[in-house]
Amino acid sequence: MGELWSRILQNYPYVFALALFAIGIYTILTHSNLFKKVIGINIMEGSTYILFIAAGNIRGGVAPILDMGDPELVYVHPLPQALMLTGIVVSVSVTALSLALIMKLYRFYGTVDAKEIMKIRSEVRANAGRNQ
Amino acid sequence: MSNKIAIVLLVCIGVVVLLAISELPLYGSPDTPAQNYVAERYIEGALSDTGALNMVAAIVIDYRAYDTLIETTVLFTAIIAVFLVLKKGTDRRGEHK
Repeated sequence: MGELWSRILQNYPYVFALALFAIGIYTILTHSNLFKKVIGINIMEGSTYILFIAAGNIRGGVAPILDMGDPELVYVHPLPQALMLTGIVVSVSVTALSLALIMKLYRFYGTVDAKEIMKIRSEVRANAGRNQ
Repeated sequence: MSNKIAIVLLVCIGVVVLLAISELPLYGSPDTPAQNYVAERYIEGALSDTGALNMVAAIVIDYRAYDTLIETTVLFTAIIAVFLVLKKGTDRRGEHK
Protein backbone atom coordinates (compact mmCIF):
# COMPACT_ATOMS: atom_id res chain seq x y z
CA MET A 1 0.00 0.00 0.00
CA GLY A 2 2.80 2.43 0.91
CA GLU A 3 4.64 1.57 -2.26
CA LEU A 4 1.50 2.20 -4.30
CA TRP A 5 1.09 5.67 -2.79
CA SER A 6 4.76 6.54 -3.28
CA ARG A 7 4.56 5.53 -6.95
CA ILE A 8 1.42 7.64 -7.41
CA LEU A 9 3.06 10.62 -5.69
CA GLN A 10 6.17 10.32 -7.83
CA ASN A 11 3.94 10.47 -10.92
CA TYR A 12 2.29 13.67 -9.68
CA PRO A 13 1.95 15.38 -13.13
CA TYR A 14 -0.25 12.51 -14.29
CA VAL A 15 -2.36 12.86 -11.14
CA PHE A 16 -2.69 16.58 -11.87
CA ALA A 17 -3.80 15.79 -15.43
CA LEU A 18 -6.35 13.28 -14.08
CA ALA A 19 -7.72 15.90 -11.66
CA LEU A 20 -8.09 18.46 -14.46
CA PHE A 21 -9.80 15.86 -16.66
CA ALA A 22 -12.25 15.01 -13.87
CA ILE A 23 -13.02 18.71 -13.32
CA GLY A 24 -13.69 19.09 -17.05
CA ILE A 25 -16.02 16.07 -17.24
CA TYR A 26 -17.81 17.19 -14.07
CA THR A 27 -18.38 20.63 -15.62
CA ILE A 28 -19.79 19.11 -18.80
CA LEU A 29 -22.07 16.67 -16.97
CA THR A 30 -23.55 18.98 -14.35
CA HIS A 31 -23.91 22.37 -16.02
CA SER A 32 -26.72 22.99 -18.48
CA ASN A 33 -25.27 26.33 -19.64
CA LEU A 34 -23.71 25.63 -23.04
CA PHE A 35 -20.86 28.14 -22.53
CA LYS A 36 -19.84 26.28 -19.36
CA LYS A 37 -19.87 23.01 -21.29
CA VAL A 38 -17.43 24.54 -23.81
CA ILE A 39 -15.22 25.69 -20.93
CA GLY A 40 -15.29 22.12 -19.56
CA ILE A 41 -14.20 20.71 -22.93
CA ASN A 42 -11.28 23.18 -22.96
CA ILE A 43 -10.22 22.16 -19.45
CA MET A 44 -10.20 18.49 -20.55
CA GLU A 45 -8.05 19.38 -23.57
CA GLY A 46 -5.60 21.16 -21.27
CA SER A 47 -5.31 18.03 -19.14
CA THR A 48 -4.39 15.93 -22.18
CA TYR A 49 -1.64 18.40 -23.10
CA ILE A 50 -0.20 18.16 -19.60
CA LEU A 51 -0.31 14.33 -19.65
CA PHE A 52 1.37 14.09 -23.04
CA ILE A 53 4.14 16.61 -22.41
CA ALA A 54 4.84 15.21 -18.94
CA ALA A 55 5.31 11.77 -20.52
CA GLY A 56 8.13 13.16 -22.68
CA ASN A 57 9.90 15.00 -19.87
CA ILE A 58 13.28 14.15 -18.38
CA ARG A 59 14.22 15.43 -14.94
CA GLY A 60 17.06 17.92 -15.45
CA GLY A 61 16.48 18.08 -19.21
CA VAL A 62 16.36 21.37 -21.08
CA ALA A 63 14.00 22.60 -23.81
CA PRO A 64 14.81 20.96 -27.19
CA ILE A 65 16.66 23.92 -28.68
CA LEU A 66 20.12 22.91 -29.80
CA ASP A 67 22.96 24.52 -27.82
CA MET A 68 26.22 24.13 -29.78
CA GLY A 69 28.35 25.30 -26.86
CA ASP A 70 27.42 22.48 -24.48
CA PRO A 71 27.31 18.96 -26.00
CA GLU A 72 26.55 17.34 -22.61
CA LEU A 73 23.06 18.83 -22.31
CA VAL A 74 20.10 16.45 -21.96
CA TYR A 75 17.14 17.47 -24.10
CA VAL A 76 13.55 16.51 -23.37
CA HIS A 77 11.56 14.59 -26.02
CA PRO A 78 10.65 17.12 -28.79
CA LEU A 79 7.94 14.97 -30.42
CA PRO A 80 5.13 15.31 -27.80
CA GLN A 81 5.54 19.09 -27.82
CA ALA A 82 5.22 19.19 -31.62
CA LEU A 83 2.14 16.95 -31.53
CA MET A 84 0.48 19.06 -28.83
CA LEU A 85 1.01 22.11 -31.06
CA THR A 86 -1.22 20.31 -33.57
CA GLY A 87 -3.70 19.48 -30.82
CA ILE A 88 -3.97 23.13 -29.76
CA VAL A 89 -4.96 24.10 -33.31
CA VAL A 90 -7.68 21.43 -33.36
CA SER A 91 -8.97 22.54 -29.96
CA VAL A 92 -9.15 26.17 -31.09
CA SER A 93 -11.11 25.11 -34.19
CA VAL A 94 -13.56 23.04 -32.14
CA THR A 95 -14.04 25.90 -29.65
CA ALA A 96 -14.65 28.45 -32.41
CA LEU A 97 -17.22 26.24 -34.14
CA SER A 98 -19.08 25.37 -30.94
CA LEU A 99 -19.20 29.03 -29.86
CA ALA A 100 -20.61 29.97 -33.27
CA LEU A 101 -23.29 27.28 -32.93
CA ILE A 102 -24.15 28.57 -29.44
CA MET A 103 -24.53 32.09 -30.86
CA LYS A 104 -26.94 30.72 -33.47
CA LEU A 105 -28.92 28.85 -30.79
CA TYR A 106 -29.14 32.02 -28.71
CA ARG A 107 -30.50 33.98 -31.68
CA PHE A 108 -33.10 31.28 -32.33
CA TYR A 109 -34.25 30.38 -28.79
CA GLY A 110 -33.19 33.42 -26.75
CA THR A 111 -31.27 31.33 -24.20
CA VAL A 112 -28.00 29.40 -23.89
CA ASP A 113 -29.35 26.93 -21.33
CA ALA A 114 -29.66 23.38 -22.70
CA LYS A 115 -32.57 22.43 -20.42
CA GLU A 116 -34.62 25.50 -21.38
CA ILE A 117 -33.96 24.82 -25.07
CA MET A 118 -35.27 21.27 -24.58
CA LYS A 119 -38.37 22.64 -22.84
CA ILE A 120 -39.06 25.09 -25.69
CA ARG A 121 -38.61 22.34 -28.26
CA SER A 122 -41.00 19.96 -26.48
CA GLU A 123 -43.63 22.71 -26.20
CA VAL A 124 -43.33 23.51 -29.92
CA ARG A 125 -43.72 19.82 -30.74
CA ALA A 126 -46.79 19.46 -28.47
CA ASN A 127 -48.46 22.48 -30.11
CA ALA A 128 -47.74 21.12 -33.58
CA GLY A 129 -49.37 17.79 -32.61
CA ARG A 130 -52.48 19.56 -31.31
CA ASN A 131 -52.98 21.52 -34.54
CA GLN A 132 -52.91 18.47 -36.78
CA MET B 1 -29.13 14.54 -7.46
CA SER B 2 -27.44 14.31 -10.83
CA ASN B 3 -24.41 16.04 -9.25
CA LYS B 4 -24.06 13.14 -6.80
CA ILE B 5 -24.31 10.55 -9.58
CA ALA B 6 -21.63 12.44 -11.54
CA ILE B 7 -19.33 12.61 -8.50
CA VAL B 8 -19.72 8.86 -7.75
CA LEU B 9 -19.04 8.02 -11.39
CA LEU B 10 -15.95 10.25 -11.51
CA VAL B 11 -14.58 8.83 -8.23
CA CYS B 12 -14.93 5.29 -9.65
CA ILE B 13 -13.11 6.28 -12.86
CA GLY B 14 -10.52 8.25 -10.85
CA VAL B 15 -9.60 5.28 -8.63
CA VAL B 16 -9.08 3.03 -11.65
CA VAL B 17 -6.95 5.67 -13.42
CA LEU B 18 -4.92 6.26 -10.22
CA LEU B 19 -4.12 2.52 -10.17
CA ALA B 20 -3.03 2.84 -13.82
CA ILE B 21 -0.87 5.87 -12.94
CA SER B 22 0.89 3.86 -10.23
CA GLU B 23 1.93 1.36 -12.93
CA LEU B 24 3.24 4.01 -15.34
CA PRO B 25 7.01 4.44 -15.73
CA LEU B 26 8.44 6.91 -13.24
CA TYR B 27 7.99 10.57 -14.20
CA GLY B 28 11.13 12.30 -15.42
CA SER B 29 13.39 9.27 -15.54
CA PRO B 30 15.60 9.11 -18.67
CA ASP B 31 15.00 5.38 -19.38
CA THR B 32 11.24 5.34 -19.82
CA PRO B 33 9.88 3.66 -22.97
CA ALA B 34 8.97 7.12 -24.27
CA GLN B 35 12.64 8.09 -24.45
CA ASN B 36 13.54 5.65 -27.21
CA TYR B 37 15.45 5.88 -30.48
CA VAL B 38 12.86 8.30 -31.91
CA ALA B 39 13.89 11.07 -29.52
CA GLU B 40 17.55 10.24 -30.12
CA ARG B 41 17.08 10.43 -33.90
CA TYR B 42 15.30 13.79 -33.74
CA ILE B 43 17.79 15.32 -31.30
CA GLU B 44 20.86 14.14 -33.19
CA GLY B 45 19.57 14.55 -36.74
CA ALA B 46 17.55 17.76 -36.54
CA LEU B 47 20.43 20.09 -37.34
CA SER B 48 21.95 18.07 -40.20
CA ASP B 49 18.56 17.08 -41.67
CA THR B 50 16.75 20.41 -41.51
CA GLY B 51 19.21 23.06 -40.39
CA ALA B 52 16.92 24.16 -37.56
CA LEU B 53 18.25 24.67 -34.03
CA ASN B 54 14.77 24.37 -32.54
CA MET B 55 13.82 20.70 -32.76
CA VAL B 56 10.10 21.30 -32.23
CA ALA B 57 10.10 23.69 -35.18
CA ALA B 58 12.10 21.14 -37.20
CA ILE B 59 9.48 18.45 -36.52
CA VAL B 60 6.46 20.68 -37.14
CA ILE B 61 7.73 22.36 -40.30
CA ASP B 62 10.09 19.80 -41.85
CA TYR B 63 9.73 16.18 -40.63
CA ARG B 64 5.94 16.40 -40.40
CA ALA B 65 5.34 19.15 -42.94
CA TYR B 66 2.35 17.38 -44.51
CA ASP B 67 0.74 17.15 -41.06
CA THR B 68 1.10 20.91 -40.68
CA LEU B 69 -0.15 21.51 -44.23
CA ILE B 70 -3.34 19.51 -43.65
CA GLU B 71 -3.68 21.16 -40.25
CA THR B 72 -4.18 24.47 -42.04
CA THR B 73 -7.04 22.74 -43.87
CA VAL B 74 -8.60 21.97 -40.49
CA LEU B 75 -8.35 25.64 -39.52
CA PHE B 76 -9.74 26.70 -42.92
CA THR B 77 -12.69 24.31 -42.62
CA ALA B 78 -13.44 25.56 -39.11
CA ILE B 79 -13.38 29.20 -40.27
CA ILE B 80 -15.65 28.43 -43.27
CA ALA B 81 -18.05 26.55 -40.98
CA VAL B 82 -18.15 29.46 -38.52
CA PHE B 83 -18.95 31.90 -41.33
CA LEU B 84 -21.65 29.57 -42.71
CA VAL B 85 -23.26 29.18 -39.28
CA LEU B 86 -23.21 32.89 -38.52
CA LYS B 87 -24.39 33.93 -41.99
CA LYS B 88 -27.46 36.13 -41.98
CA GLY B 89 -30.18 34.36 -43.94
CA THR B 90 -33.61 32.87 -43.76
CA ASP B 91 -34.65 31.19 -40.51
CA ARG B 92 -36.80 28.07 -40.10
CA ARG B 93 -40.06 29.85 -40.91
CA GLY B 94 -38.65 31.15 -44.19
CA GLU B 95 -38.67 34.79 -43.09
CA HIS B 96 -35.76 36.90 -44.21
CA LYS B 97 -33.84 38.47 -41.33
